[in-house]
Formats: sequence, structure tokens, C-alpha cells
Amino acid sequence: MSLDYVKFTPGFGKFMPKEYRDMVEHGPFGKKVSVSQVGTFKEILEEHPMCAGCAMTLFIRLAMVAFPNPEDTITVGTAGCGRLAISQAAIPFVYGNYGDQNGVASGLTRGLRLRFGDKPKDVVVMAGDGGMADIGFAQTLHSWFRKEKFTTIMLDNEVYGNTGGQESGMTNRNQVLKMAPLGKKFEKMDMLGMAKVAGCAYVATVVPNNPRRVESVIKKAVLVAREIGPSYIQAYTSCNIEYAIPTDKVLEDAKTVETDRYKFTEYITDEAKEYLSQLYGYKEYLPKPAAAVEKQ
Amino acid sequence: MYLVANIETEICAATSCKLCTQYCPEANTILYDNEAGQDKGLKYGSAYVAVDRCKGCAQCVWVCDNMAKHNAIKMEMIDQIGDTALTENVTYGEKTSSAVLANPVRGQV
Ligand SMILES: Cc1ncc(C[n+]2csc(CCOP(=O)(O)OP(=O)(O)O)c2C)c(N)n1
Ligand code: SF4
Ligand code: SF4
Ligand code: SF4
Repeated sequence: MSLDYVKFTPGFGKFMPKEYRDMVEHGPFGKKVSVSQVGTFKEILEEHPMCAGCAMTLFIRLAMVAFPNPEDTITVGTAGCGRLAISQAAIPFVYGNYGDQNGVASGLTRGLRLRFGDKPKDVVVMAGDGGMADIGFAQTLHSWFRKEKFTTIMLDNEVYGNTGGQESGMTNRNQVLKMAPLGKKFEKMDMLGMAKVAGCAYVATVVPNNPRRVESVIKKAVLVAREIGPSYIQAYTSCNIEYAIPTDKVLEDAKTVETDRYKFTEYITDEAKEYLSQLYGYKEYLPKPAAAVEKQ
Repeated sequence: MYLVANIETEICAATSCKLCTQYCPEANTILYDNEAGQDKGLKYGSAYVAVDRCKGCAQCVWVCDNMAKHNAIKMEMIDQIGDTALTENVTYGEKTSSAVLANPVRGQV
């Protein structure tokens, strides 16, 4: 886990596939890249079998660009659509049993700290709403209560997409799905509220129709998890297959849903604000100057 | 045969908003050539599609038509498209990339 692991063994470079050479020579490792530069450098995400036009794919792509230090990042995932792409990137990916991801990430984060001390190694969990809010619920909440220092990202497509359309805890009430023909009987779970109660230091909701915002929240969440505590991002990443959204209308849907019920929200503790402003120059979190006393 | 996205350099290079590159769900697919169109006096460079990676979702068309309002992207049949970019012909440089165009079906450069 360092810049060295992406380099070629001397003499072997010329035998490597073009994509690999491009990644080593023109990838984001050891540089600062941003979403506004995509198309001019080689992204670490490769081809994968997720559906054409899937918003989750777009979100994962943006997340991979946003990682502050990709050469020092490990992703953790589980069964579900997202792992089909997350596993096809040039950074290590750990695949737990379905729902185990936050337990695996807890152990991994602790192990990395023992091995590398304070040198930051970023652990980022990305898993579906079913894997996180249903099957992996206990492990997700426990990792937060235990203040495990890694980032948890929910790829919230509001359905079990990979297995053909069962409702999840994150599906909206009354939603009819292929395998929920009578409609869901209870409300969407408030995972954001639970993240705050359980002690996450940074919590945000985001929709991928705003790439720079996705980039910004991911950077902050990863940085906060290095030192301050757990961070949680909940991203609306529609499933165009199970919700029958034509692929050229996926971004229109994202915009409508964002306006309607998935507005951008950000919660950040004072400690995390201070840390981001002091160490990483986030001006927005600098203490506001005291309001000028009104003249009598 | 199937549809892939094709970007009209002359329209794109006249404005260059770089929006579609940020919204394509596939990585390394809509790339950017800072020098494209300069031979025609257009100064901004143009986006282009590595069609072997394009899954034909047409999200970029929606972005260019509705967000950028430039209407520079059309979906075209892969065997009708003429010469276009393919990953194997893409070269990355300092803050740009470029492609030698080739026929995606016959593959000759
Ligand atoms: C223990 C276990 N139970 C069930 C499955 C089958 N399974 C694979 S993916 C999946 C659903 C994934 O849904 P979600 O987590 O919401 O992710 P999505 O595919 O929607 O992104 C299920 C039930 C499994 N792999 N392991
Ligand atoms: S099934 Fe749905 S969530 Fe899964 S890859 Fe396809 S569109 Fe995306
Ligand atoms: S959105 Fe349209 S005008 Fe903007 S970079 Fe893409 S093709 Fe060019
Ligand atoms: S059609 Fe879809 S996959 Fe192809 S370039 Fe456009 S956005 Fe990307």
C-alpha cells in the first residue's frame, strides 16, 4: 500500500496491457486530481458489467476520482450491484460476506493502524441499501457506536437491485416492486438520524447529478474518518432496471428526486470542522468572526 | 449493431463545457482533447468518445442537450459512425489526451 505497488517490476513494463501502462503513467496516483479534470487523465476504474446508464456506476466512478489518496485507500464491499464495479478499480478491494462489510472494515482499519501507525490508510465501505440497512444493519450500527475510523457509503437505490427487485428498509412506503407487489408497508429507515445518534462525525446525503458535490463530500468524509471518527454518506443511486427509468432520463430522475426528497444535507461535528479547517484548509469551517457589536 | 455516442467536434470545440465527461457513468469513456478543432480556428478543444467503452445509455446526450444546451452529441450505429476513437488509439499527455481515429468495425488506423 504505497505508490510502489502500482509501479512495474523493472523490465516488465513493455509486456503490460495498454490500460495498465496508462494507469501507472497517467493515473491519479500520487497526484491531486479533480472531477473537473476527468477525460484528461486515466481513471483507476476499469470496464465492469454494471448496467448501461446506472446512476450507481456514475457515483462509484466519481467516488474513485474523489478519494484523496487512492494509493493509500482500500475499499470494502459486499454482495450487490456496486461490487461489480468497485472490484474493477486499481485499488485493493475486500469482499466480505453479505452484510459483513462494516465488521470487516473495523478489523481492517484497526490492523492498518497497528501496522502503519499514524500514516493514513483510508478504508472506505461502499455497499447497497439492503446490505447496509437490512442484512448488515447490526454491524453498521456497531461500527458507528464503537467509533471505528472509516467511511461508510450507502449506495441507496431503494431496492435489492442485484437480485431482481425485493424491497429493502430504504425503499419508500407504498412503493410497488417486482417482488413487493402489494407495496411496502413501512417507512424508509432513517439511517441518517441513526448515524448521528450513533456518533458519526460527518454525515451527508448526495445525488450524483452534482459531480463536484459528490467529490467534495467524499473527500471530507474520508479525511474526517482518518482522525476524528466514523463518517457516513448516503447517496441516491437509482436502479434504472427495477424502477424502469429510461437510461437517458436517469439524470432527470436524479434531479427530481433530489428536489423532492433527497436534498443535499450535511452534518458535521465541531471537532471535525476544526480539524478540516486547521489541517486541510477548509475555509467554510473556520470559526465565524464574532458579529460586530451594534452601535448604541 | 448497436448505438454509441458521437460528439461533433465543431460544436463542442466552440464552447467546451466539459460537462458530459463528468456525467458519463463509464470511466475513461468520454475523454478530452484540448487541441481538437484548433486547425479550424476553434480554441477550446473537444470531448470525444472511446466507443469501445461506450454502453450506449445516452446520458451524455441528455446532459449536452439539457444542461449544456449545446446539442453536440448524437447516438449513432457503430457501423455507420465512420472513423472514431478507440481506447487502443488514445494517448494521454499533460492535462489532455488525444486519439488517432480509426474505424471501430474494421479497426484500421
Ligand atoms: C447471506 C446472503 N444472502 C443473500 C444473498 C443474495 N444477494 C446477493 S445481492 C443481494 C441484494 C443486494 O441488494 P442491495 O444490498 O440493496 O444492493 P443492490 O444490488 O441493490 O445494489 C442479495 C440478497 C447473498 N449473496 N448472501
Ligand atoms: S440492476 Fe439496477 S442498480 Fe444494478 S447495475 Fe443494473 S441498473 Fe444498476
Ligand atoms: S456537454 Fe456537449 S458541449 Fe459540453 S463538452 Fe460535452 S459534448 Fe462538448
Ligand atoms: S452513451 Fe452513455 S456510456 Fe456512452 S458515452 Fe454517453 S454517457 Fe457514456
